Amino acid sequence: MTPDPVDQLSARLFESARSEAVPRGAEQHAIEMARREMVRETTLTERGSEREKWLAAAACVALAAAVAFLLRPKDTVLGISAEPSTVVHVRPEPRHVTSSTTSAVAPIEPSRSVTAPSVTVPASSLPSPSKPTPTTTGMTAAPAHSAPASLSEELSALKVASSALGAGDAKGALAALDRYDRVLKGQKLRAEATLLKIEALSRSGEPAAASALAQRFVDQNPGSPLVDRARSFVVQ
Amino acid sequence: MAASRNEVILSASKAPLGAASRAASHGLTIDALVGQHYGFIWRVLRGLGLSRADAEDATQQVFMIAARKLDAIDPDRARSFVYGAALRVAKNALRGQRRRREVVADDELLDEAEPEARGPEKMAELVQARRLLAQVLAHLDEKHRRVIVLAEVEQLEVPEIALLEGVPVGTAASRLRVAREKFRALLLTLRDHNPFADEP
Repeated sequence: MTPDPVDQLSARLFESARSEAVPRGAEQHAIEMARREMVRETTLTERGSEREKWLAAAACVALAAAVAFLLRPKDTVLGISAEPSTVVHVRPEPRHVTSSTTSAVAPIEPSRSVTAPSVTVPASSLPSPSKPTPTTTGMTAAPAHSAPASLSEELSALKVASSALGAGDAKGALAALDRYDRVLKGQKLRAEATLLKIEALSRSGEPAAASALAQRFVDQNPGSPLVDRARSFVVQ
Repeated sequence: MAASRNEVILSASKAPLGAASRAASHGLTIDALVGQHYGFIWRVLRGLGLSRADAEDATQQVFMIAARKLDAIDPDRARSFVYGAALRVAKNALRGQRRRREVVADDELLDEAEPEARGPEKMAELVQARRLLAQVLAHLDEKHRRVIVLAEVEQLEVPEIALLEGVPVGTAASRLRVAREKFRALLLTLRDHNPFADEP
């Protein structure tokens, strides 16, 4: 029985498809790209969990503030109680407090504002609003943070710097970044802050300082996704 | 925190190339996944009508998707996973290819592994055969094209095709039967393009 010529042709066509080899090196390239994707995914997941952690912390702060508000003493004059209002800070990682800052800020006893009897006092006997109240936290800003700044605080500082930079105010940006360093002691967005600083230095006529900082950043963060941008500021 | 981020990147980029990239909880590594299924996915994508270059890009995309979901892939169903991803990627790639209205050059139908040793006649035959196959497959609707590629190019059995397609075995068998009939009918109409000189 002679084989059907159409079947024979089909078989040869499919054989031609089976015999086609994959492009040379394509498989190894796919492995490398997939590995990079895994690294990127891991980084993104880490960032996501970090964000979740800080959102949870922010939610706790808000909850504590709400509880403090609900349990506040009733006999207040113009919303000012004799007992200074207490803001309970809930931080996931309490930072070590230096002796200079502890002397300025008294330990907080959240229960005091609830249980201690409130006494209405004349406004004149209250401490001047311009002077920081030693036992009040949160309301009067201390010159330096005794606890780590929150992600949103760090973000705000960087937004200010970024806006200033966008408006051509490099000095203003540097001032905002200085606040980020000295007051907030920012850590969470350190890489982003450094990059902004490099850019601000470059635009404020200090290319050598920008280049040196960029080089240091590249050396210290070779795996950072921002490293290519930093490298563009390095003057050879 | 920034340091830990960098550590992750550094440790991963310093991993030796030959070593498994990540030992997932069930032991499936991206190297093994690519090694086992690269050829399969690439040929399926070629069968679905992608050019060699687009098939390479699309296959790469498939394994990048797989890399993101590696922990969730059941090793016993890894082929189904990459096949499903390949179909989704192929849809986009084919759309792009149509938009560019690509005309496949003859060189495009030859791979580097086909040396001149085959001889110019054989090479011309191969080019024409692949062109004719692509033409016929392009006339089939998508589900029939898929099953015929799986059955005839990948030489899978009907139950395996059913598993990959996510349909009952009976449905897969019926689709394959219809696909073969259509393929045959199309081939009869295109026989004047028969690239094989020794065919009647």
